[in-house]
Amino acid sequence: MAEVYHVGMGEIVVAKHPVILTSLGLGSCLGLVIYDEIAKVAGMSHIMLPENHEGREVKKFGKYADTAVPKLIEELIALGALKSRLKAKMAGGAQMFSIPGKNSGSFLAIGERNIEATKKMLSNFGIPLVAYDVGGNKGRSVEFYTDNWIMVVKVIGSEVKKI
Amino acid sequence: MEYNELEGLSSFHLDVIRETVNIGAGNAATALSQLLGSAVTMDVPKAELVSIYNISDRYASPTELVCAVYLRFEGEISGNMLWIMNEEVSSQLVKVLAKKNLGNISVEQLNEVADSLLLEVGNIVLSSFLNAISSMINCSLPVTVPAIVHDMLGAILDLLAAYYGMVGDVAIVSETNLRITDYETPMNGHVMLLPDPQSLSILLSKLGVL
Repeated sequence: MAEVYHVGMGEIVVAKHPVILTSLGLGSCLGLVIYDEIAKVAGMSHIMLPENHEGREVKKFGKYADTAVPKLIEELIALGALKSRLKAKMAGGAQMFSIPGKNSGSFLAIGERNIEATKKMLSNFGIPLVAYDVGGNKGRSVEFYTDNWIMVVKVIGSEVKKI
Repeated sequence: MEYNELEGLSSFHLDVIRETVNIGAGNAATALSQLLGSAVTMDVPKAELVSIYNISDRYASPTELVCAVYLRFEGEISGNMLWIMNEEVSSQLVKVLAKKNLGNISVEQLNEVADSLLLEVGNIVLSSFLNAISSMINCSLPVTVPAIVHDMLGAILDLLAAYYGMVGDVAIVSETNLRITDYETPMNGHVMLLPDPQSLSILLSKLGVL
């Protein structure tokens, strides 16, 4: 049986196959997975915010999109991954609450900013984002399986998605 | 006090915030009690600094289905308020409210009005909470239109973690439970007051402790 790792807020977990990486109850947060199918390694980050713009010392690299992506890559390479083979999948970044006239630019839209920042970081590092299920206004739980490199996305009241 | 000094709040400051929650929640309990014609009790309020990384599994499983009413207040002091119930409680509450106010209605009609009933009650609970604080500190706290969601608890609390996460690694969580007790199964709702980090020093100075 594959071991199951719960990736909490702001955390990064990197592991070798066979493993299941999960993040539960993602709202505005993003569950980002980067993996190498040949080296059979995968890592998940539970991203909370787009960027560490305050320049403060980062205690949890998984907290920000701009620190999580390079850290994930670094840890995957340390586990034997090849940078040119890395691929990414992600889910999350919802906007849970909407208030008329208070949405654009406010913290309620943090999910959208997480998505944009993560996409930008992946493209900066040349990592293809092969599948994603992001945005909307519903929370998600994600499970990533190294058996088939599939991310299972669960939303309350909807059918399970496999991406 | 700068907002990045949230971590440096003393236990005395937290006690004062707890007392503020006590007064706010007391007013909310009275309003809810009058609306329902039922007894409403409240727990001893808490005001704590919590690691943002632990918020989503502080109360229950992050995947638990809950109903949450949210509103934001923006005045001299700004922040967010939440009223969270698990889904069984919210449907029980809808039935009680509907029976009191609408007589016998069909299930289809009930589903249509369920969210507007909950939203309105949530608005009354949260606004009464804020009104008490507003009179206490003599400062108006205009509120936004409330919003309602039914979703995973973790997904709702995510937003708070991210919000406080923008300025540090701790959140100030001040909260209590309101229990509607006259029914076979008491209905328990969780009320949270989440002041903006930038507003804390203004709040504390209005309360006369800074």
